[in-house]
Amino acid sequence: MKQLTRGAWGEPGSSLACHTGSWRDLRPGHEHAAAPCHAACPAGEDPQYWLAAVQEGDHRRAWERLVAANPLPAITGRVCPHPCEQRCNRGHYDTAIGIHGIERFLGDAALAAGWDYPGIVGPPAGAPRVAVVGAGPAGISVAYHLLRHGLVPVVFEAAPEAGGLLRSAIPMTRLPRAVLDAELERVLACGIGLHTRQALGRDFSLDELRAEHAALFLAPGCARSRPWDVQGVIPAGTRDGLDLLKSWIDVGEVPAARRVVVHGGGNTAMDIARVMKRHGAEEVHLVTASGLPGPQTAPDDVLNIVPRELEEGLEEGIVIHPHATLSRVLLRGARIVGVELVALRKLERADGRRARVAFEGTERILQADLVIPCIGEQVDPAGLGALVQRSGFLRVDARGGVAGACDLYAGGDACGNIGTVAAAVGDGRRAANAIAARLAGAEPSERPRTEIGIERLNLNYFEPRPARRAAVLPVAERDDLCEIEGSLDAAAVADEAGRCFACGNCLACDNCWVLCPDAAVLKIADTASDGSRYVFDYDYCKGCGLCASECPSGFIAMRPEPE
Amino acid sequence: MDESPRQLIARQREAEPRYRGLESGHRACQGCGEALAARLVTEVAGGDVVVANATGCLEVFTTPWPQSAWRMPWMHSLFENAAAIASDIEAALRHQQRPTKVLAFGGDGGTFDIGFQALSGMLEREHDVLYVCYDNEAYMNTGIQRSSSTPHAAMTTTSPPGRERMGKRHLKKDLLSIIGAHHIPYAASASVAYPRDLQRKVRRALEISGPTFLLVHSPCPLGWGHGGERTIEVGRLAVQTGLFPLVEIERGAVTAVMPLRVPRPVSEYLALQGRFRHLFADEPRAREELEHLQALADHNIAVYGLLGGAPDALDADGADTVRRGGAVA
Amino acid sequence: MPQALEGSAAVARAVALCRPGVIAAYPITPQTHIVENISRLVADGELDTELVSVESEFSAASVVLGAAAAGSRAYTASSSQGILLMMEVLYNIAGLRVPLVMTCANRAVGAPISIWNDQQDSMAARDAGWVQLYCVDNQQAVDTTVQAFRIAEQTELPVMVCIDGFTLTHTMEMLALPTQAQVDRYLPPFRFARALDPASPRSLGMLVTPEWFSELRHAHHAALGRAAEVVERADRDWHKLTRRSAGGLIESFGDPDAPYAVLTIGSVGGTFAAALAECPPASPTRLLRLRCYRPFPLAALHEACRGVRELIVVERALSPGQGGIIGTEVRAAFAGMRGAPRVHNVALGLGGRDVPMETLGRLVAAARARRLPPFSIFDLQPERLPAEER
Repeated sequence: MKQLTRGAWGEPGSSLACHTGSWRDLRPGHEHAAAPCHAACPAGEDPQYWLAAVQEGDHRRAWERLVAANPLPAITGRVCPHPCEQRCNRGHYDTAIGIHGIERFLGDAALAAGWDYPGIVGPPAGAPRVAVVGAGPAGISVAYHLLRHGLVPVVFEAAPEAGGLLRSAIPMTRLPRAVLDAELERVLACGIGLHTRQALGRDFSLDELRAEHAALFLAPGCARSRPWDVQGVIPAGTRDGLDLLKSWIDVGEVPAARRVVVHGGGNTAMDIARVMKRHGAEEVHLVTASGLPGPQTAPDDVLNIVPRELEEGLEEGIVIHPHATLSRVLLRGARIVGVELVALRKLERADGRRARVAFEGTERILQADLVIPCIGEQVDPAGLGALVQRSGFLRVDARGGVAGACDLYAGGDACGNIGTVAAAVGDGRRAANAIAARLAGAEPSERPRTEIGIERLNLNYFEPRPARRAAVLPVAERDDLCEIEGSLDAAAVADEAGRCFACGNCLACDNCWVLCPDAAVLKIADTASDGSRYVFDYDYCKGCGLCASECPSGFIAMRPEPE
Repeated sequence: MDESPRQLIARQREAEPRYRGLESGHRACQGCGEALAARLVTEVAGGDVVVANATGCLEVFTTPWPQSAWRMPWMHSLFENAAAIASDIEAALRHQQRPTKVLAFGGDGGTFDIGFQALSGMLEREHDVLYVCYDNEAYMNTGIQRSSSTPHAAMTTTSPPGRERMGKRHLKKDLLSIIGAHHIPYAASASVAYPRDLQRKVRRALEISGPTFLLVHSPCPLGWGHGGERTIEVGRLAVQTGLFPLVEIERGAVTAVMPLRVPRPVSEYLALQGRFRHLFADEPRAREELEHLQALADHNIAVYGLLGGAPDALDADGADTVRRGGAVA
Repeated sequence: MPQALEGSAAVARAVALCRPGVIAAYPITPQTHIVENISRLVADGELDTELVSVESEFSAASVVLGAAAAGSRAYTASSSQGILLMMEVLYNIAGLRVPLVMTCANRAVGAPISIWNDQQDSMAARDAGWVQLYCVDNQQAVDTTVQAFRIAEQTELPVMVCIDGFTLTHTMEMLALPTQAQVDRYLPPFRFARALDPASPRSLGMLVTPEWFSELRHAHHAALGRAAEVVERADRDWHKLTRRSAGGLIESFGDPDAPYAVLTIGSVGGTFAAALAECPPASPTRLLRLRCYRPFPLAALHEACRGVRELIVVERALSPGQGGIIGTEVRAAFAGMRGAPRVHNVALGLGGRDVPMETLGRLVAAARARRLPPFSIFDLQPERLPAEER
């Protein structure tokens, strides 16, 4: 029986007997939502997660977190258009985090230090073998992730070396070959069996592969350019951009021309345009049906060029004609003397689908002596037969499975995706997960996380800070070999990583702990199961929601109290 | 034997890397600014103190017998005598030659109004006491009646808007200047929205031998009519508009202010609170009072020189900046 | 060694002998001389104490409350309006069960404003839950002051020592002060078990819900009841030490078998004791001097009144619209008792009106003649009143 004290004095802290948690109808919880950079990354990287390690100065741990999704950071840090940066919440505040520069820094650091890829153990004896067709980014990625799952990848590549498009179509000014070779070699050295000069349909067939492997992953890439003509006309001697780029990379030569029109709005178009300009063309025009990035252009209508490449191309004098197409080629005899452009837009039609519509009366003439088509590529059907769809691509489901064939998976450019290295890496990772799950008789477990928007952040707790960007070679000093964009140093990388809002993750800033009126947020010495250093004491939390509204990074969410 | 989840969290509570003067289990409303302020103050004051607490919400929600939320020696006597009680605790400790610090806690009613005389006496007699006024701008414990701290035009149950009136007719008493006029070594205003600034001021005050005073703006979700999750947002805007300037006064002279990088319009602050809802009616009187409050904020900005120059880590935008692993400032 | 001292100075010296840690006071006539004397002792270094000159009686009471709660022996003094301004704190001190001592230099309460003596002020604090001791003379005032600290500290109740203003406070008397050694032997150093102490951080003054309030009130009430024995023992022990009693609970003078008795409180008891010797009433009369008013000493009163047929209760305050305060309580004390005395009740000496020695004889005569109504102001001059006020 409780007994009175003289004058009704109380023991210190005896209020702990009063469990005010019963007042609560909303319960705070740590919710590791997907940062926009993560949601946007086709490769499935979670940049805010590894940026945290960079900020702590632990580059190796950052790299290990990074390569859990993408084994090629030195490469993607250079060539990826980085949709993560375009979606970065910090872009709405001052300037997006320069994720690519940090990714590249980590990739280069790993090359220099020779850090081992984490999570790779030799496959057990008798582990299932999986055949991979194509050693481009998708093929390398699937092989790497299969290894992580304890499976045995066997890669068949038609070319003499691994790399695919990275080697054949990306200029050295964007991706030095030393970096490409070093990173590919390190990934392959993890235990990937590679058979080069082995072409599907020539040296082996799908059926042969299927007989010897538990599953197949097809990543043949798009080796064949899309058919191109202007109103039925194909000027004599026309060579497409991919073809020109390959021979420039192989032998360093391009056709001589004064005025060049490149038709297309992708990276190959921009790459060849810049090569032509550097090799003496007075004018290089890039004609694209897409629009320039900006508020006027719908996201699905923006030209597919890495933003910094676009910027550099403009610096170098490439003239871009957006929202236009070629309506006529002006010939004098067989010789091109110009092209006729017409304005067009992507518009919604009566049936609801969007299509490009040219506007009569907007025609104009550009003088030109060379037209380079760059409107895209498609799959070489050799050995694939009916798998190639009418669109020119393979059709796969969300996990890379080819319809109607349970052991057949595909990825990369051959599936007609957005055509980036990161997307190919992502295709490989997802397919490896699916293959491993199927072989283990399980469902692939990739829990989708909700993306966190800027409205969930509390920007009061951040200060504008200038972005750190690597130096870029001046236009006059650019040549065919030197990498145009430079590297960041460790200090700059730390500074830039420090600008990360850590969207959806814990900054360990103490706000929840400092601002809880009920002392119901406890700071603990160990790491909690959710990775943070705080736990909620639900015996006392009244559910006011102050912690959630004052969490800078949206890591705390209020959810209805369970019944 | 394995530790139960409740044992684990109790152990984590005990192992926390800070002193908890105000323990969990108190019965303050959800999102209570005063509870937060008292927690922040006692946290830096530490355990070697004695607290004299005036009657009011803080006293009631922390000490329904037999449960006390306080971990330091604490005493409540009456509404108007916290300063006097603190005076004599201090005198007694001085006589006993004990170095223990004395704090007095009161709300705005117990400080601006009924306890003002005792407070003035305490300051004049130079007792070594830190008096903390948790200013929530009305008599909240009795059900939201206006006090001399209630801001102009605010609605309370004794200053309701109606056909003839637009909330409180009079102005918020400039208590800090009056306190400063006692020529005490240190007086300052602070806000729960800027906890580090608040705690720095508590530390500063406790280092000083002699009477010190802290006025802590403590939003009251119930009395001000805002969600408990907005306590900090409301408090921050009070500072950033200039309506509640954060200043430090030594021997009667203003020696430091928290500058405003870009003053926010008062309407942003007022619109968050039910007590100012009538000011957003579509009528001339409402517009006039909005302008009046803006003018009062502008006046504070001018009088205290709140307009900062270049962005500053300690201005009203920079002072709450955090980064991975803690606060910046 | 007897010496001639003014009452206030004597009380100040007695307080100093008790080694208080904190003293707070605010000036009000007729208490001022006590504070002034204490201030002088402090100024001369004869008393090591924190003397807090507060800005009101309200704060004075608050100050001693806080000081005692913080573990220091604390003392204050006031009068009249000052007592009333303190009233909220007086209840608070008692309810918190904090031991401290206050001198009430009794004075009338305005309006009309009067600086002169009666006991309306301390009577107004009757229900605050304090021990109240009334002094007949300045020797008792000195002795009671020392005893009060011991009573307070043993019972954890506040003690109010009531001394008639001017009549005692401003009057020179020959009296004996105890020695420091005597006081130190009698009064151990102050130790308050519930003191505010970081080493054992209690919360004092908590909110008590209806579920517990009655028990708390009872505990306080019972503590006051038990305090009667402590008051008696304190006086007995003091007598052993100094050969002086300060009056126990009730003092009885005169013929122990007399059928007439006059019950007084405060200095009137001194006047009437002299009267008993110099101009005794026509009928055999005993004089009962009530020293301990709270707790009300029911058993001691019954004992003192054994054999009394007519009991005249004389007091220095009243409850307007009802009558005498002590008289009513005495009537209640005898209600339903077989052979209980007839109780007469008068107030007199209000607002400083002189109480001459002859009053005793006139009172007894009036009672004998059955001329006393249940209550009256005995020394009233009704002819001064307009007809409608009589």
